Amino acid sequence: MAVTHGADADVDAERLEDLVEVAHRIRAAIESVIEGKGDVVRLTLTVLLAEGHLLIEDVPGVGKTMLAKALARSIDCPVRRVQFTPDLLPSDITGVSAYNQQTREFEFKPGPVFANIVVGDEINRASPKTQSALLECMEEHQVTVDGVTYELETPFMVIATQNPIEMEGTYPLPEAQRDRFTVKIAMGYPEPAAELEMLDVHGAPQPLAKLDPVAGTAEVQALIRAVRAVYVSQSVKKYAIDLVDATRHSTDLRLGASPRATLHLVRAARAHAALAGRDYVIPDDLQELAVPVLAHRLLPSLEAQGQRRHPEQVMTELVRRVPVPDTK
Amino acid sequence: MRLPISAGLATGAVSLTLYPLFAEGAWFWAGLGVLLVTTAVATLVSRFALPPWLAPVGMLGGAWVFLTVLYARDDAWLSFIPTKDSLLTLAEHLLTGFDDIQRFAAPVPANPGISLLTAGGIALIAVLVDLFAVRLRKAALAGLPLLALFTVPAAVLNEPIGWPAFVIGAFGYVGLLVADGRERVSHWGRAVLVRRSRTTTTADAGKLALSGKRVGVTAIALAIAVPALIPTLVPAPLFGFGVGNGLGGGGNNVGIPDAVAKLSGQLTQPVNATVMSYTSADDTPRYLRIYSLDVFDGRQFRPSSLKGRPEDRLDEGPMPPVPGLSPSTPATRTETTLRISDEIEELRFLPLPYPATQVEVDGDWRADRSTLMVFSTRDEAAGLEYRVTGMDLRPTYDALDTAPAAPIEVQSRFLSLPRGLDPRIQDLAYEVTEGAASAYQQAIKLQEWFTETGQFAYSLQTRGSGNEALAEFLLNSRAGYCEQFASAMAVMARMLGIPARVSIGYTGGSKIDGRWVVRTHDAHAWPELYFEGAGWLRFEPTPAGGGGQATARVPQYSLPVTPTASPSAGASTAPSPGATGATGPDSEAARNLRELEDPFAGSSGPAADPGLPLYVKILIGVGVALLLSLVPALMRLVLRLWRRRILTRAAGFGSAEVSTREEPESHGWTVDEIGSAADPDDLPEADPAKFTVPAVEAAWAELCDTLTDLGMARQGSETPRALGRRLTERYELDREAAAAIGKISSAEERLRYARTPAQAAPLAEDLQVARAALAATVSWQRRLGAVLAPVSALLRVKAVGEGLLDGFDRLEGTGWRPWRLWRRTRPRHTGRTGDTKKAEPAADRPLAGTRRW
Repeated sequence: MAVTHGADADVDAERLEDLVEVAHRIRAAIESVIEGKGDVVRLTLTVLLAEGHLLIEDVPGVGKTMLAKALARSIDCPVRRVQFTPDLLPSDITGVSAYNQQTREFEFKPGPVFANIVVGDEINRASPKTQSALLECMEEHQVTVDGVTYELETPFMVIATQNPIEMEGTYPLPEAQRDRFTVKIAMGYPEPAAELEMLDVHGAPQPLAKLDPVAGTAEVQALIRAVRAVYVSQSVKKYAIDLVDATRHSTDLRLGASPRATLHLVRAARAHAALAGRDYVIPDDLQELAVPVLAHRLLPSLEAQGQRRHPEQVMTELVRRVPVPDTK
Repeated sequence: MRLPISAGLATGAVSLTLYPLFAEGAWFWAGLGVLLVTTAVATLVSRFALPPWLAPVGMLGGAWVFLTVLYARDDAWLSFIPTKDSLLTLAEHLLTGFDDIQRFAAPVPANPGISLLTAGGIALIAVLVDLFAVRLRKAALAGLPLLALFTVPAAVLNEPIGWPAFVIGAFGYVGLLVADGRERVSHWGRAVLVRRSRTTTTADAGKLALSGKRVGVTAIALAIAVPALIPTLVPAPLFGFGVGNGLGGGGNNVGIPDAVAKLSGQLTQPVNATVMSYTSADDTPRYLRIYSLDVFDGRQFRPSSLKGRPEDRLDEGPMPPVPGLSPSTPATRTETTLRISDEIEELRFLPLPYPATQVEVDGDWRADRSTLMVFSTRDEAAGLEYRVTGMDLRPTYDALDTAPAAPIEVQSRFLSLPRGLDPRIQDLAYEVTEGAASAYQQAIKLQEWFTETGQFAYSLQTRGSGNEALAEFLLNSRAGYCEQFASAMAVMARMLGIPARVSIGYTGGSKIDGRWVVRTHDAHAWPELYFEGAGWLRFEPTPAGGGGQATARVPQYSLPVTPTASPSAGASTAPSPGATGATGPDSEAARNLRELEDPFAGSSGPAADPGLPLYVKILIGVGVALLLSLVPALMRLVLRLWRRRILTRAAGFGSAEVSTREEPESHGWTVDEIGSAADPDDLPEADPAKFTVPAVEAAWAELCDTLTDLGMARQGSETPRALGRRLTERYELDREAAAAIGKISSAEERLRYARTPAQAAPLAEDLQVARAALAATVSWQRRLGAVLAPVSALLRVKAVGEGLLDGFDRLEGTGWRPWRLWRRTRPRHTGRTGDTKKAEPAADRPLAGTRRW
């Protein structure tokens, strides 16, 4: 997490403007496919720039996969899609060492994780064993097969989708696994107007086919570097800790957010600030990201469950309660 | 366990307020002892969970045994088991105690009877408090018996209870309430203070107790501070003086409704009734003084408070020493036997010749040490016959002429005059006494002027002696009766620096059938002037004889001396002519020096002006209250102006900065590159921070305070940006105002969170625009409130108060708690430390955020 200081701040600012321009292009491209979901698209980009992973949870047919694919397509980079099924094996994700008859050696056949963007569809359909294989890759950015470690690409982003409706035959991600996703979002149904436009404009059988890549891997890598350079003042760091800490002491929650959540929150805030063209993080970034970044890691207490208070609501209240830092 | 002890402590604390009632401390030990016994009994009953009804019975029994041991040991079996005899002895003591209490005025001697009564009373209160607080569990009700105990000194003394006593008593009661609260909580089980975090735990029993303590401490502090700060309206009954300071009209007060009015009333009465008669050994008539008035309020003389201490009771011995009289002053002993007429009503003062050295009289008569007035709070003088031994003072001319200056306490009390007296009176006083070389000669000249040269006329028609009346009497009419003459001379004497007071009583009367008979028409007022060595000497400015007060007599020493008389008088004190000659100029110089030092000594006294009318006092009180209430507004205004100044200064620097930046470019860096190498970096870096940072902070703080004042305060979780958005959206601000607020909030945002603060600070104008726009959105009442009672300033005051309370809490937190230490070091406990250690992580688990089912 290199933080650049002083002299090249101005350079950063210039570069930042260019990069924001790139980000806007990507955003525009995705939005041309996904109608009326500006917030979701922005969050997705934020996760990409924060080097995190995205979990999309919603009912079928609202465009989860479409979002993932659109993002993947608008960036000119290798994209792999894995449809998770109960019989999927860990080696189907990571790759296998196969015996090469000609060379008489074991040869590594890379799995679908060896890509910049990996779309994991209906991740909750796979067995826990397979799920954890993917999650390990997400966390460590590397794959170890037969004692050999293979580095993954940069950027590396997993976009997993999950279907909350069909519970039979699924293995919902346990809370410990959900913690590895930077952000969990729900697509939600589109507005009637947006839906109408979708019917009109994107009525074509293959809307994605018309989508051309608007940015290259190098550009995205530069963007990520710029995001890393975004300044986070001590007080904002302290505020992030306060927010996370508040979840640990809330009586409405029986599980608070982990230190990893703090890390994810600050990273996402950096990306959020950069996307807004700012080279420093303000508490507003954290406030906006607190629910998508933290809520899916929280478990409500029995009382809160009884009152039908979702972690999202609890988190919103906590954000309203924790005072922002007054000093530098 | 805790509760009975707290009840005992509360009773003890309130009992301490009884101390001014007693002259001696013996009652205290009796009270303490009985309290210890009753508390011990109550504690035992609680400790062994005995039936609750046993507590009052046991406590009363314990108190009985204790009092028997203390007061009737000889009659008790084994000197502590009460018997019939011991009971009788106790009853006897009680009766004498009741008698004594009836007889004595406070402070009373702590004889066995009174001590027994007090200890018994304390025991009774202790039983009641214990009954209410411990047995019935109504701790608040226990305040009633405590209050009853508390009112005893208040009712008897007519004096406000001293604040330390109040504080002790109040803390005793609060302690009882706190103990009750704790006991109540502990009934639900052991109080476990779960401190999950230092910041977020809200429903914490400790915090609740803390706030209770805070309420208690604040209430007590306010109860003491507020009356001390607010100007009080002192009810000032004209002549209502008594044992205390004359406030109120309690049962023991000696009240004489307006002695002066009574005096003129007596003089104008058609019936000349006999007041008293007397015989004296040398068959000489003597003025009989009743009251001595020392305070001049601009209208008339009135008495200050009297003190009748038990040791000054007349049947305890001779009168207190005569103030200012030295043994060297020639005097003859006189003996007078007086009989007061039966018809006199409500006279609680004894008419006495001055100075009296011993009075033999029946009843509880006490002498006031400073004035030698004799009075009683219980007995009346009507029909009384008593014998007075006194002195006939014959001071020599030389001794009086060379008398040194009066002691400072006499000067401060008897030279004070209110402001606003007609300055012509003082001129007149100096004019009349011109050529007099000493205070004594001035006094003689004054009296001479009143009786002879001043052409005064005696007239009973003139009534009252108001401020103007005095000037009218002296400067124009020159007609009045004794009271005016006496007051006028006393006032003029004070102006000349001679301590003076006015006495009211009777002249010597006239001789009828071998007895001197004093009638109502002999009522009289006369001035007394103080000369060191001789004390208070009577003067007689009122015309005597047919055209004046018929029975008035001018004392010998107050007559102007003839040249022949002087040497003879001087010869009588011849033994030390040199010494008296030396002290003459000295005293004169001393007096002049004093006059120089104290400019008010001559004209008006150093004492506070007592002549302020009531409505002026009320107005002053209201004014002070108003001013006090405006303090927050003033604080706010000062703060605002100060911030404004910071802003304008930063703005001024901003324009200056541009010129300094341009300069280096025109001149180039080459001149002394090494020397100024550091400067170019410093200039843009350090200086903006120096001026813009405070400016940004000031603008932001001012914006926040304005919002607080207008009732749209910023929430703690609201970021600068969010604040600007909220204000603009909710209050529909126009673009200019929105831009101004945006400028202020974004500058603050950058300052707080960005790597470098913004280059330009918001301007004072931005703030002005924002303030005006925000103020326009609220009602005018709110705007007025924001100016007159700004919430932000009040919050600041509150923060200071809370800081003080926090300090108090911290003090309590660091308090030495020996029982904890003891518990910790108990060996039994060490065996259990393993358990506690194991238990602690379990208690901490919620902290770590694991499941809590």
